[in-house]
Amino acid sequence: MDSQHLNPSSLKSRFTARFLRALIKINAQKPISSSSPREIFQRYRRIKVAADKSMAYSVRSRRTWSRATLWKLRSRSRRRLASSGRRSSIKTRTTTTTTTTTTSTNHRAAIVEKTSHEKENKEDHVGLAVQAEELRELVPGGESMDLCNLLDETAHYIKCLTTQVQVMKKIANLYSLE
Amino acid sequence: MESNAGTTETRSNVTVPDGGEVAAFESLQFTDEIHRLISAPGTDNASSFTALLELPATQVVDLLHSPESVKLIVASAPNVEDFKGSFHFPSNTGLIQKDARFSVFSGEGNNKNEKSNSPEMTSKNSSANLEKAVKSEPAETVSSLPLVSDPTMENRNIKRKDREKKVKGSTKKSKTATNERLEDAEKLPYVHVRARRGQATDSHSLAERARREKINARMKLLQELVPGCNKISGTALVLDEIINHVQSLQRQVEFLSMRLATVNPRIDFNLDSLFTPESGSTMDGGNFPSLVTPLIWPDVQVNGYRKQFQHQWHFDTLKQPIWGREEVCNNYVTLENSLLSCDSSANSATLHANQLKMEL
Repeated sequence: MDSQHLNPSSLKSRFTARFLRALIKINAQKPISSSSPREIFQRYRRIKVAADKSMAYSVRSRRTWSRATLWKLRSRSRRRLASSGRRSSIKTRTTTTTTTTTTSTNHRAAIVEKTSHEKENKEDHVGLAVQAEELRELVPGGESMDLCNLLDETAHYIKCLTTQVQVMKKIANLYSLE
Repeated sequence: MESNAGTTETRSNVTVPDGGEVAAFESLQFTDEIHRLISAPGTDNASSFTALLELPATQVVDLLHSPESVKLIVASAPNVEDFKGSFHFPSNTGLIQKDARFSVFSGEGNNKNEKSNSPEMTSKNSSANLEKAVKSEPAETVSSLPLVSDPTMENRNIKRKDREKKVKGSTKKSKTATNERLEDAEKLPYVHVRARRGQATDSHSLAERARREKINARMKLLQELVPGCNKISGTALVLDEIINHVQSLQRQVEFLSMRLATVNPRIDFNLDSLFTPESGSTMDGGNFPSLVTPLIWPDVQVNGYRKQFQHQWHFDTLKQPIWGREEVCNNYVTLENSLLSCDSSANSATLHANQLKMEL
């Protein structure tokens, strides 16, 4: 086989390590061969969060978007703990997660509306206000950045997303081998 | 009287450098001008001086008390033509602030003086007021100047500081603009009005230009990252492409995580099979998916990707212990190696499985 020299401290390897560990945890928590759609949905959400979290952790706090993601995740978990009181039943967890997600989306929507109003009022010197605002929506933590830094963050974010997709594809292919 | 003028000149020059370098520089410039102007109409000084002294005796008190002394001093400008030497007094006595001097010189119609007017005159509203005062008020206050030394001195010091502050503020705007101004200053003995105005617009345009260049450079990087963006021209369309790409990547992550959620139960099954001590007999077709993952690891081992796990692998293969959780994690890390190294994991996995089956 190709003996490619791996960089053990590359973004890819860091992400893969973390993500696999998170996967193992998730699989260990759940009983095996649970096929109810609700549980699958829960697992899907957890895996998605784990993927984003492991990617953000691999980047640490070097980037604004990673910091924003980590902050969001932490605040979500805090809200979850606070509202649920005790970590006991799964039902409460799911309800709280849904509520937290809705609140976060509402909050986010409010911010987006605000920024859109502001951006519409101000005309960018190149007239890219609409696209800039869309980018801000997509890139986590992009609401509070000027266009210059926003483009920087977008470039790094795209790079990290592509690695994430690559690794997850390989894992999925590996596990679906039958 | 010339000696008096000379002494007053020196006095003014001595007092001026108290403020700062800029002030001193300009004062030196004025001394040059003053010398030139003095040399030309030498004889008129005496008569004009005395004449001026006689006229506005009453206004001395006003000048002493009012802050409008600047205006009054500047009002001497229209007198310049009447009294050729009279312009000396503002500078000789050192009472008149630089704005006044500028206005006086502008009254002369000297180009250099106009240039010298520029930085200070345009920067301040007071300068505009002074100019207006020059036009409006009658010019009788020149004689009062020598008596008004102290308050005007104070005003001049204050205004000098303000001017210096403004100079500093303008320099903060953009370094290149200040460089331009300095260059202009080097070319001419006085700083030019146009330099000031150009500086104001240049700082904005330079900052804008720098910002645009930054944004364009980053857009180029993004174009390289996003496939199919190189052909598109125009920042708006490129940004649209980038947005689409980011959205598609995020959706892909979601789909893959959904896929992993549905597929995973089998992996748990595989993990359980891994936990049991393995022997050659367990390698069946049925357990193939479970064995795919562990079979990759020896291959990884053979290739020697990770030295830190080599020893562990030797240990494992030799003794075939029951793998605990931690070891599973390690194994998963080696699995990660396979993921990272293999281009098509599926094909490679099958190959390895076959190879190992052959070996065993």
